[in-house]
Amino acid sequence: MTPSSGISAVQNSINTTKENRSIGFEFRGDGMEYFKIWIVNILLTIVTLGIYSAWAKVRNNRYFYSNLYLDSDNFRYLADPITILKGRLIAVAALIGYYIMSLFLPIVAGGLAIALLFAIPYFINQSMAFNHRMSSYKNIQFRFKGSYGQAFMVIYVWPILGILTLGILYPLALLKANEYFVRNSAYGTSKFDFNATYKDYGMIFLTAIGITIAVGLPVALIAYFVPAFSVISSLLYVAVYFAVIIYVVVSFTNVFYASLGLIEHKFEANLTMVATAKVILTNLFLTIITLGLYLPAAKVRMTKYICSCLTMHTSGSLDNFSAAEKENISALGEEFGQVFDFA
Amino acid sequence: MLIEGIYLDGKTSKRNAARLEVNSNHKITAIHLTEQQKILSFEHQSYVVESRLGNTPREITFDDEQLFVCDNHEEIDKLITWQTSNSSNQYSWLYHLENNSKLIFISTITTVILLYGIVVYGIPSTAKLMAHNVPYFTSAQLFSSLDILDETVFEPSTLPAKRQQEIRTLVAPYLSNHKSLQPKLEFRSGMEANALALPNGVIVFTDDFVNLTQTDDELVAVLFHELGHLTQKHMTQRIIQDAMLTIMVIFITGDVETFDLVTGLPTLLLDLTYSREFETEADTYALTLLNKHDIPLQSFVDAMTNLENYYLKENEGKVLGTVNDFFSTHPKTSERIILVETFKE
Repeated sequence: MTPSSGISAVQNSINTTKENRSIGFEFRGDGMEYFKIWIVNILLTIVTLGIYSAWAKVRNNRYFYSNLYLDSDNFRYLADPITILKGRLIAVAALIGYYIMSLFLPIVAGGLAIALLFAIPYFINQSMAFNHRMSSYKNIQFRFKGSYGQAFMVIYVWPILGILTLGILYPLALLKANEYFVRNSAYGTSKFDFNATYKDYGMIFLTAIGITIAVGLPVALIAYFVPAFSVISSLLYVAVYFAVIIYVVVSFTNVFYASLGLIEHKFEANLTMVATAKVILTNLFLTIITLGLYLPAAKVRMTKYICSCLTMHTSGSLDNFSAAEKENISALGEEFGQVFDFA
Repeated sequence: MLIEGIYLDGKTSKRNAARLEVNSNHKITAIHLTEQQKILSFEHQSYVVESRLGNTPREITFDDEQLFVCDNHEEIDKLITWQTSNSSNQYSWLYHLENNSKLIFISTITTVILLYGIVVYGIPSTAKLMAHNVPYFTSAQLFSSLDILDETVFEPSTLPAKRQQEIRTLVAPYLSNHKSLQPKLEFRSGMEANALALPNGVIVFTDDFVNLTQTDDELVAVLFHELGHLTQKHMTQRIIQDAMLTIMVIFITGDVETFDLVTGLPTLLLDLTYSREFETEADTYALTLLNKHDIPLQSFVDAMTNLENYYLKENEGKVLGTVNDFFSTHPKTSERIILVETFKE
């Protein structure tokens, strides 16, 4: 029997029974195990003067993707280190060229910076496409296919409108960006959907502003009339600032997943402010007292926590997705994005 | 030999319980689909065994995106050792390095020492070398940088023309001693009391600063400090150092997304540490020149003390003073005065 006839036999026997289940995402990585991979990555990157960084990136990503499980199947990261190295070398050369240019011929460099501004939507599209194509689940790759025009709108036009309207349209700008990135993403041939509304996003902003005013104003007033209070008040500001940030991050993550759909399948995220704050503060504290050595374990703890809050509500089997046709996208788009700090 | 696992054909997301068949010649011959009771022949297919990484499942990829996944690390490792032409062989030493506690301990110590060395010695000395020797950087003259500052922060000076001329005459001999830097003194207002040196040799005194100084010697002391920045090409060095620091952080964290508080804060602190080192270098240069021209070192101390009092008054009522010290681009005035004391000896 040849492999191809074997495959057609498998396709014929696809199980099409309807089943509605709630499946949790699970991250099976371990802080100590990842620390070892991470420290070896850094050492080899230093010793090879940065060349190894491409292999390090692949090993890092493989660790996080391969340990992410949904319905007892894991995700995979597929990029080839050589592809990433090529992209990185070109991007670093361009960066050095740009630095020299900005010192030697500032006018030309200025022109290049403007040209780069117009190239950014293209690079972001390329980077998204590469990252999606290099991610797979159940041996089916993800896909991203965006258009330059739409990317330009969500990267520049909507945020600028958000600022010009003094923030009133800013939630809409964020919404448009998420819509653009999700709706142009696909798992195999199946497109993702996103159905959040302006109201969902706007409410999060309003609540955040509400908390800030409700706590900030009284504190500012007390501090104004009782100068001795000013030390405590600055601490209070830091606490409120932190709480508002946590609130915004948690709410947006939950709304994002609740709005996400893949054909008839739905998603849900149940992050809570208390648990998220606990993870962030623990990570920050341990990272500082270990002078950064806790960084890899911190990344694992955060990933574990977020994954433990994610659920997929399936409607029917997850066996029926089919792969999209092959396409080739260079790693250059992605690496340009990283070096020029806009990814 | 049969290895239990999962088979995915790469065309659909259907997961199939499967057994990988390896014959007595250590060749992969077939995959048995246990539920369908089917056997897929793999006699003539090329395949790649992905390298081992932590406790993640083992993957073997075949032609046409077919994939076999299993958790049986021992059997797969055997399979790898039997085949010599496989690229996974070169990766297995990585797995062993990552799982040897002694080697990890040594790696950690080595990495910390190397990073310390790079940050404290490597980056500054490379930047210094580059700033002084690479022709592009040496001739790098941001000819329009004063124009940019004029458009953004500076206003024309309101000092009387007579006073400006007095100061120009005062500093002329010292500037002509530094002809190679093409130094040029300019007066501006619109900023707090400050003196700064731009890479193309322009030294700016703000009106507030000139009014603050009580003697000509204080002006000369600060001028020497700025000439120190110019001679040692500090601005160029700092640009190079920041670029190297950024690239290093990207390489360590692997991506820009983790460029958050945890990595961003140390990067900022390092940049400020570099900045304070430059200030101390410029101070030392200024003191050397003051000695050379028989100007009392006390004039430098007076200038610094005046500036500090000025800023204390400006920032009166603002808290977070200690935090500002931590995030300052300049060393503390008390430290700078101690430098003068040690320099005298």
